[in-house]
Amino acid sequence: MPLLKSPPKHQLARLVMIQEMRGLLVSPALWIMLIIVSLLVGYSFLQAVNLFSQASRTALSFPELAGGMNPLEGIFVPTFGAYYLSQTLLLPFVAIRLIGLDKQSGALKLLLQLPLSPLTLCGLKITAMGLVWLSSLLPAASALIIWHNLGGHIYPPEIAILLAGHGLYSLTVISIAMFAATISDSLPTAAMFCLAATLGSWVLDFAAAGQGGLLGILGSLSLTGMLRQFENGLLSTAYVAAFLSLALLFFLLTAIWLHPGRRMFLNLGKSFTCIALFCIVALSSLLAPKYMDVTENRRHSFNPADIRALQKLRKTLTITIYLDPQDSRLLDLKHDVLGKLRRSVPQLNVKYPQTKSAGLFGATESDNYGLIQYSYNGQHDQSYSNSENEILPIIYTLAGAQVVPDSIPTYSGHPLTAEATGSKWWFYIFLPLFFLCAGLYGRKGKW
Amino acid sequence: MDKNVTKQQTNELSVIGINKTFGTYQALSDVSFAVTPGEILGLIGPNGAGKSTLLECITGLLPVESGTIRWQGRQLSPEKRKQVLWYQPDNILPFAEQQVTTTLSFFQQIHGVDKMEIKQLVNRLELSPMLYKPLNALSKGYRHRVLLALALLSRQPLLMLDEPFDGFDLRQSLSVMDLLRECRAGRTMILSIHQLTEAEKICDRFLLLDQGRVLGIGTLDELRKQTGLASDARLEEVFLAIT
Repeated sequence: MPLLKSPPKHQLARLVMIQEMRGLLVSPALWIMLIIVSLLVGYSFLQAVNLFSQASRTALSFPELAGGMNPLEGIFVPTFGAYYLSQTLLLPFVAIRLIGLDKQSGALKLLLQLPLSPLTLCGLKITAMGLVWLSSLLPAASALIIWHNLGGHIYPPEIAILLAGHGLYSLTVISIAMFAATISDSLPTAAMFCLAATLGSWVLDFAAAGQGGLLGILGSLSLTGMLRQFENGLLSTAYVAAFLSLALLFFLLTAIWLHPGRRMFLNLGKSFTCIALFCIVALSSLLAPKYMDVTENRRHSFNPADIRALQKLRKTLTITIYLDPQDSRLLDLKHDVLGKLRRSVPQLNVKYPQTKSAGLFGATESDNYGLIQYSYNGQHDQSYSNSENEILPIIYTLAGAQVVPDSIPTYSGHPLTAEATGSKWWFYIFLPLFFLCAGLYGRKGKW
Repeated sequence: MDKNVTKQQTNELSVIGINKTFGTYQALSDVSFAVTPGEILGLIGPNGAGKSTLLECITGLLPVESGTIRWQGRQLSPEKRKQVLWYQPDNILPFAEQQVTTTLSFFQQIHGVDKMEIKQLVNRLELSPMLYKPLNALSKGYRHRVLLALALLSRQPLLMLDEPFDGFDLRQSLSVMDLLRECRAGRTMILSIHQLTEAEKICDRFLLLDQGRVLGIGTLDELRKQTGLASDARLEEVFLAIT
């Protein structure tokens, strides 16, 4: 008897993906997550609108304060913060089912007999999960529409980068969950493994807040730390590459370990190769990052003329900072001027000599405490200021540069006093009910 | 080409020297056998004999320490096995939360089978009342019927079923046997069975397995001769004599 002619691969792939989507749609975990997301997004959005309105009242009375009224920080980041919670704590439980349930039910033994490679099978599963993930954006989309209808301002690039950040974070969490399900014998073990990764990342970020050194670097490279860059409206090739390579690493590890019929040493060899490649890609992207400030108020960038001038500095600019890592002045300096300098100056060396402040009201141990020294091309200067208006002229004087700032429109902010309490019916009643009904429909196996 | 290879080519499937261990436990020890085209081979053995492990090793779902699988004389890579054989494991509940009709339809489309065939299978297995229920809501007997339907929708020339009669009463078992005989046309089957009465009724030949070792292989008559039992001895007696 001749060998069986397999059906076309694309047809097979389409059927399997539809089946995977059905599997997710009948899952109570998905609908519970969507109900919770509706409630969380609704609560976050209503709170954000309320606080933004209160702040806007003051800003409308004092126009000089209006520049601080930015909907990205005031409305969208808090609203999408609900997704961070659900992606960290709930999404793993949905994603684990993609493989864990198939393993538990024996369906995987049937799927692995189809003429599809484990890599394709994993690809179909993650695609199905991605499509289902899009449905979880319904509450956020409705928040955006409501905000727009209230007369609120939306700057699309900010929304796009926020979505990209959450998309990449979710993709990474899904990949980790799939890998956890692949190597675990049971769903609870897989859930623990995955939560250890997501919650561990959150704890690392929390512990590293305001810390320098290795802990600070690890904190900024944690999943939570990387997501925060997107929330800040700063698109970095390093973080995009880090997210993508991490997601790809776990995806490939899943594909390698999915088939129980493969030899252990072959799987180990492939896994080590993937991990080595991941390290190379991640390190190379972290060493030479490119940035794009997509915020409307360009808060992560100097004036374009300053950027051009700083990019022309050919020698190493050394900045020595005599501040305690926990000092709020250092934190402000890092978030503002130092970050901008790192993105503009080709060769920047920042030093933090061992310094301790004696306490809140006590005298400092060192006379240098609070001092920031600048060295360029053998010339030195120093200042206690952490304001760019004072720091940039010092650098230009050291470099012998003359900079005339470009004329750019001043960001006037988008203050808005609005009442969104009417939309609580949508977030607290209608959307959860809709997801509940869809879930109950799915429980009858009708999807 | 040597004599052995020529002999293998007359066989549909040849399993040669399969060894499988789980840690220090030897699950399969030098298992070799062949299946001829169109026959039903019964894998007979007590629980833990290694029947399911053997089927999974043949399918490629478990790696083996040594041994080869040949199809019509040619060595089969695990990837090629997908075109040749379909293995239906025991005690599985695939896509359990979906309606039975959805799962049947999925496999019908996967295997490129005519929709009429599903209807016939559903009628033969009396699954009509259960079509719109999720698989996990069905009784054990109905679940087994659905799994059997899924297996019979496959189109690979070799079908391997793990405990196909488990969960069926006598009448149902007889009905399933009739169905398997009908579906046998052009297909070869390996059935892993621990109920010897059922095995005796449907299998052409038997592979007796215990503790991962092949104790005997042949028709019931051949096994009787091998054990020196009377010509009316049942498979049960043969098995006890061999073990």
